[in-house]
Amino acid sequence: MAHAEPLPEPSNPLGLDGIEFIEYATSQPQAFGALLQQMGFAAVARHRSREVMLYRQGGMNLIVNSHSPLRGKGTLEETPAIVAIALRVRDAGYAHKHSLERGAWDMPTRAAAMELHIPGIRGVGDSLIYFVDRYRDFSIYDVDFVALAGVDPKPKALAGLHWFGVVQTILNDRTQDWLDFYQTLFGFTALPRGQYFGILPKGTLLESPCRKFYLQLIEPPPGAEDIHWDEGLVRVGLGAADIPAATRVLRDRGIVFIDRGSVQPSDKGALTQVYLGGVTFELVVSHLQP
Amino acid sequence: MNLDHFGMDTITLAGSLEAKLDTIRGAGFTQVMLNSADLVGHPDGERAAITAVRTSGLRVTGFQVLRDFEGLSGHLHAYKVDVAKAMLRMCSDLGSRVLLACSSVSAHASGDRELLKKDLQKLAMLAVPFGIRIAYEALSWGRHVNLLSQAWNIVQEADRANLGLCIDSYHVLAHRAPGVVSDELDPVKVFLVQLSDFMWQETRSPEDRIETARHYRVFPGEGVHSDEIAALIRELDAAGYRGDYSFEVFNDDYKQLPLAMVAGRARDSVQWIAELVSRRSLPARRTTGSTA
Repeated sequence: MAHAEPLPEPSNPLGLDGIEFIEYATSQPQAFGALLQQMGFAAVARHRSREVMLYRQGGMNLIVNSHSPLRGKGTLEETPAIVAIALRVRDAGYAHKHSLERGAWDMPTRAAAMELHIPGIRGVGDSLIYFVDRYRDFSIYDVDFVALAGVDPKPKALAGLHWFGVVQTILNDRTQDWLDFYQTLFGFTALPRGQYFGILPKGTLLESPCRKFYLQLIEPPPGAEDIHWDEGLVRVGLGAADIPAATRVLRDRGIVFIDRGSVQPSDKGALTQVYLGGVTFELVVSHLQP
Repeated sequence: MNLDHFGMDTITLAGSLEAKLDTIRGAGFTQVMLNSADLVGHPDGERAAITAVRTSGLRVTGFQVLRDFEGLSGHLHAYKVDVAKAMLRMCSDLGSRVLLACSSVSAHASGDRELLKKDLQKLAMLAVPFGIRIAYEALSWGRHVNLLSQAWNIVQEADRANLGLCIDSYHVLAHRAPGVVSDELDPVKVFLVQLSDFMWQETRSPEDRIETARHYRVFPGEGVHSDEIAALIRELDAAGYRGDYSFEVFNDDYKQLPLAMVAGRARDSVQWIAELVSRRSLPARRTTGSTA
């Protein structure tokens, strides 16, 4: 009989391999779609039976879910919110099982945008984390989506834009809790304090074990007692090798960047103005491969 | 130390949840320790209980109690995970940031340290999305973990930010465990301190301890271990513990006395403790007259 040896887990226990897609939910899919197009994303496919659209730009897939009701809640919010991150993994079934064994919550049934069975767990706030293992030889979107006619299914990225990471707000004194979460379940590691890439040097930066994207955990700033601060995924970061070039291209398309104070565009990054009541995009100078 | 640092526990009082909350607030307390029966036993349902708590103005010290979680395997483990999830949901609905988990008394529980550690890590992980901290308590009749030092060792080994200790003075006294608050105990990892005394010197057997714990506890200052309780509070305070104290007083007599009278005794107990601590907070060297 074989005995399990008490070996340490590999540093990338799930074979994480980047972000497959980011999912937003909104009751204003057209307004948000227009914004996404300004940001360089193109609508490439429509869900077969639900009000769900697939946008794409280079290697980035972005799903806009307007199928109501979502997750048992009565109504969708107008302001687009990030409701899921789909992670590429070696074996989705294993990733799911591995996570549940360590105390993750299984995602609610029928919560997903996709009809195709994609396993997932509960993330921060009301968000989900999906596991996708079929991303090399097979497109998960082919099952659920119908390609839009006359549209390039693989639109090129503007200025080499690619996923850089996701910003997560957390409550006071919760950094270590969420570090435990991402370390234990996925093998993320915290970068040394003071190591940042963009123009928003705050919080704690976690590097994925595949080194293909980052999560930024942000506690409320001091003196923020009066502002509403909740836990959730608040923003995506888009990486680019040349930030001034990327900023220029996006400005030409009508995107407005905050140009005052500490967050004005620089070689390191840029932050868009707030759109649709709460959506921002951050550009980050990136060493990652698009 | 003042009244704001102490909470009463609903298990001490008779009557409805609303009557208990009114009495506790009426006595000047600002926090309350709740248990699941407050919710699921409410005649108008759980929603009504949650509303009563949320509108009471009282802060929830913690929610109790998850029993016999660690050390199980197979279907028993899966069953307990479901129970833990339900407890976490209730805890969250009540606005409580602490879930009390007692060391297992189950005859089916393994004492394997690795397994206990792994299970507590899992419990802590289940609590992360809710922002809940797990306070692990060594029951003095626990099957494998019945001393504070054992609970502390496992909590240290498990090494999760939201996993810490609940120190219940009753279990410490009942076991006559010396040197409870050692230098090794990190006050930051103490998530809750529950205080109570009892009326006789010793509890010799686990059965004695259970019987006394469930029926004959009294408030600090009312029992026969005042010196030990005073020492414990002083040690915790000196070590830097600044968290909540809750009166964990199970007493059959108190459950047949007017609520205000029992809450008055709880207030007297706070006064008794406050005097202890105010004496202690004077510079120690000056009070001894030493010039060193």
